[in-house]
Amino acid sequence: MVSFVQNLGSSADVVVIDDEASIREGCRQALESEGYRALLADNGIDGLEMVKQVRPRVVLLDLRMPGISGVEVLDRLPGIDPRIIPIVITGYGSVDTAVNSMRRGAFDFISKPFDVDALLNTVGRAMKRYEETVEPQPLAPKAPARPATEPDAILKGLEAVGEFYQAGTQGSLSETLCALESEATYHARKLGRIHEKKKAVGELIEDVHLVDRVVERHDFRKNALIQIMLDLQSEKRWLPRHMLMWLSRRLNIPVARIYEVAHFYEAFSLEPQGAHTVQVCLGTACHVRRGPQLADSISSVLGVKPGGTDDKLQFTLKQVHCLGCCALAPVIKVDETYYGNPSLDDLKAIFASCEKKEQER
Amino acid sequence: MNTKIATKSDLDRVRGEARKARTAKPVEITVCSGTGCLAAKSGGLAAEFDRVVALHDLQHRVEVRRTGCFGFCERGPVVVIHPHNVCYLQVKEADVEEIIARTIVEGETVTRLLYVDDKGRSIRALEDIPFYAKQSRVLLDANTKIDPTSLDDYIAQGGYGALARVLTSMKPEEVVDLVKKSGLRGRGGGGFPTGRKWESTRNAAEKEKYVVVNADEGDPGAYMDRSLLEGNPHSILEGLIIGGYAIGAHQGYIYVRQEYPLAVTNAQLAIDSAREAGLLGKNILGTGFDFDVKVHRGAGAFVSGESTALMRAIEGFVGAPRPKYVHTSEFGLWNKPTTLNNVETWANVPLLVNLGLDQYRAVGTQGSKGTKIFSLVGKVCNTGLVEVPMGMTLREIVYDIGGGIPKGKQLKAVQTGGPSGGFLPASKLDLPVDFDALTEAGSMMGSGGLIVMDEDTCIVDTTRYYVNFLAHESCGQCVPCREGLRQLSKILDNIVAGHGKAGDIEMMEDLCELLEGASLCALGQTAPNPVRSALAHFRAEFDAHILEHRCPSLVCKSLHHYAIDKDRCPGCMLCVSACPTEAISGVRKKPVVLDQAKCIKCGNCMDVCPPKVNAVLKLPGSPKPATQQPVVTT
Repeated sequence: MVSFVQNLGSSADVVVIDDEASIREGCRQALESEGYRALLADNGIDGLEMVKQVRPRVVLLDLRMPGISGVEVLDRLPGIDPRIIPIVITGYGSVDTAVNSMRRGAFDFISKPFDVDALLNTVGRAMKRYEETVEPQPLAPKAPARPATEPDAILKGLEAVGEFYQAGTQGSLSETLCALESEATYHARKLGRIHEKKKAVGELIEDVHLVDRVVERHDFRKNALIQIMLDLQSEKRWLPRHMLMWLSRRLNIPVARIYEVAHFYEAFSLEPQGAHTVQVCLGTACHVRRGPQLADSISSVLGVKPGGTDDKLQFTLKQVHCLGCCALAPVIKVDETYYGNPSLDDLKAIFASCEKKEQER
Repeated sequence: MNTKIATKSDLDRVRGEARKARTAKPVEITVCSGTGCLAAKSGGLAAEFDRVVALHDLQHRVEVRRTGCFGFCERGPVVVIHPHNVCYLQVKEADVEEIIARTIVEGETVTRLLYVDDKGRSIRALEDIPFYAKQSRVLLDANTKIDPTSLDDYIAQGGYGALARVLTSMKPEEVVDLVKKSGLRGRGGGGFPTGRKWESTRNAAEKEKYVVVNADEGDPGAYMDRSLLEGNPHSILEGLIIGGYAIGAHQGYIYVRQEYPLAVTNAQLAIDSAREAGLLGKNILGTGFDFDVKVHRGAGAFVSGESTALMRAIEGFVGAPRPKYVHTSEFGLWNKPTTLNNVETWANVPLLVNLGLDQYRAVGTQGSKGTKIFSLVGKVCNTGLVEVPMGMTLREIVYDIGGGIPKGKQLKAVQTGGPSGGFLPASKLDLPVDFDALTEAGSMMGSGGLIVMDEDTCIVDTTRYYVNFLAHESCGQCVPCREGLRQLSKILDNIVAGHGKAGDIEMMEDLCELLEGASLCALGQTAPNPVRSALAHFRAEFDAHILEHRCPSLVCKSLHHYAIDKDRCPGCMLCVSACPTEAISGVRKKPVVLDQAKCIKCGNCMDVCPPKVNAVLKLPGSPKPATQQPVVTT
């Protein structure tokens, strides 16, 4: 009780609720060694009061205590703050108790006696979980009310690189900025048409903001990954490497998993797309109505292989499984317009009008 | 919709108002705005109707309604005018003025836009057109009557009546029981009894449950689910809410492929308007039942339509299947009990509640009840969506409804069930179409693709097409499927290229056995179907390819070539300008010359050569160097 009163008003990352003093103290030392601030309580009632006051991120909770039980504390925690991550300390080493407490919302359990590494490992993961559910907040360009996260710092750096080029300053870049700069070079090379690095950096920054907007629209939910990528694809029309890397940071999902999704689904393109998309349907109905021959004709008229884009980034040719308008078979779709069984003259006229539109723009 | 529907009597009141509003204008022009007709420019057509109606100051008398798919895609855009009950086909913007002036103002019929049957008679009413006359359109009917973006339209047709009845007068167990007794089977392909699926999800111990609509229609050449979801999204939503109530779920998902943008939009609109009206959300119709629905877009992978894969995809992972012995009815989405049904299955639910057990069971065969929607495509006169009672024969579907094969050609095969289905030869045309009969014949119902092939279709090439499709879509996690399909595809590529050799067929049969027995999911397990059925019924075509290096249908590129009959060619130069690779050259009024080295065998020259000239020849085998002639100049 004494320690509780003394500590009132201060803040803490972890609250430890355990009736055994040695365990409490052991936890505190271990946690503080890693830079966490810890508060201690020796019973459930005090512990809950403390949690209400200081709103920790993680609660370490003994299940068997005099007074109210750990299970009861566990049940009441979400009522105080649903974001709190409870970790259960169990003295029995009994799997049943542990599983039961996990069902009731515990993040994980550690069995007594425990070693310091296991404890810190578990707390570390809980902290990460807390950050995933609470942290990455939308990037508010004007009033960042929350503490800056790592991606924010990078974004700032990126903008600095942009200014650096804008101003034509001479001098050396820091290591992080060099990394960003090389990403910009990669992007510039990939696009081919952006020769100036200044533009490439500018586009990089725009893209990163686009990712942030879309991620925010989906409330930073990890399971919305495919939906987020679809939105990005439809807005940007392809998924450059830096966007996926940024997405990885924002959602805290490994880049490898993001690339796995990008490669698995047909909808995503990892290469720049032409200004116009020509889709040739090769569904079964089109296949038996000479779709493949039409596809060959189009390929030779455009000089583009299926899946490819011409050098001027005008046309991307795609072969798709079914456009669902089989009555027009064989059918192609140029941007948003469908054409049923077009003749060579039709094709030439369609592509010419696309090119004309592009020139006017 | 500005009023909340909080109780059953609210719903009845809204229905009364909606019906009244619909009859306020005496004339109604319905313009099909399904994807097929939109592709045929019905969007501009509807706008033109709006414009001309306003121009003649008829807005107070005439309603222009953009409806879902009518099904008769071959003759789209379709326009039906009520109460005249006249159906115009292939309507163009230029026809609008005449339709308004003649039909709406004078009450006459524009005969040239009517359907003309094979005896030369014009047919006025939609339901008298042979394409429609033999169908029983219970699910697709509403498509032609309602604007899919309007909740009022759906309610006016009796919509959400089944939901009200279920929520106010039936226990969840009774609903499950009703579905069980109805004999409804999953329309997505497998034909698993829907009631049993619901029951095991309902009985699963876990409290939190989910219901999912599978609208990831990946079969190439099939678009039934798309048309339902685009044309009548509320019927699926109503079925899903009823299912949620019966099973004990409070959250539903609609998984729809993003390649169907209109379906995504209309599904989302339906959810939003239902939620706004109080038909989704907390305390639906004052009964204390809570339910909500989210749309999840699929990013284009055939295998993600498999139930376990689809659930993985909703969780945000790569949509690859997992072993089926862990039942999704117990461990599905987020490891909670989940019922997943196809779009058409969900659409059947409100219908079943409304019709009642006896009337619903009256349609269909012993083992398959109700109707089935097919997408009738390929070499058939009337491409479109058809809804027929289970048990109708293939012959009736292809010839009576589909109008037979174009250009008087012979039917070679009908393929059902998509890439996992099989070929059925002409001798099986009298097969009644239901789940069991098709499986027995070596094909399957699948989700309802029905592709007609004529004598110009090469079965070997089409088999290769299906195998390549499956090889491309295999997720790759299990070796038998990944490698088995790749080897099959290599063998077939070789055969088609004229490099087939003895023993290929036996090797394919071995691979089929491997695929069937050792693959993880249905994609691999059913992959042998196209190969086996092709071998069973069209062995001679394979032999011709392998042993004689000959493609009897002259389809396989490496096994045929084009030539110009110089005795017949008048030098009109049509083919010269139609050739995409400039392989044909010549001078006017002299026979043209084809450069075989440049020819990509697209067949454009043959298409443009006037039938009475008929100077382009399609010949088996490789071109002989001697046939090349130098350009004769004068």
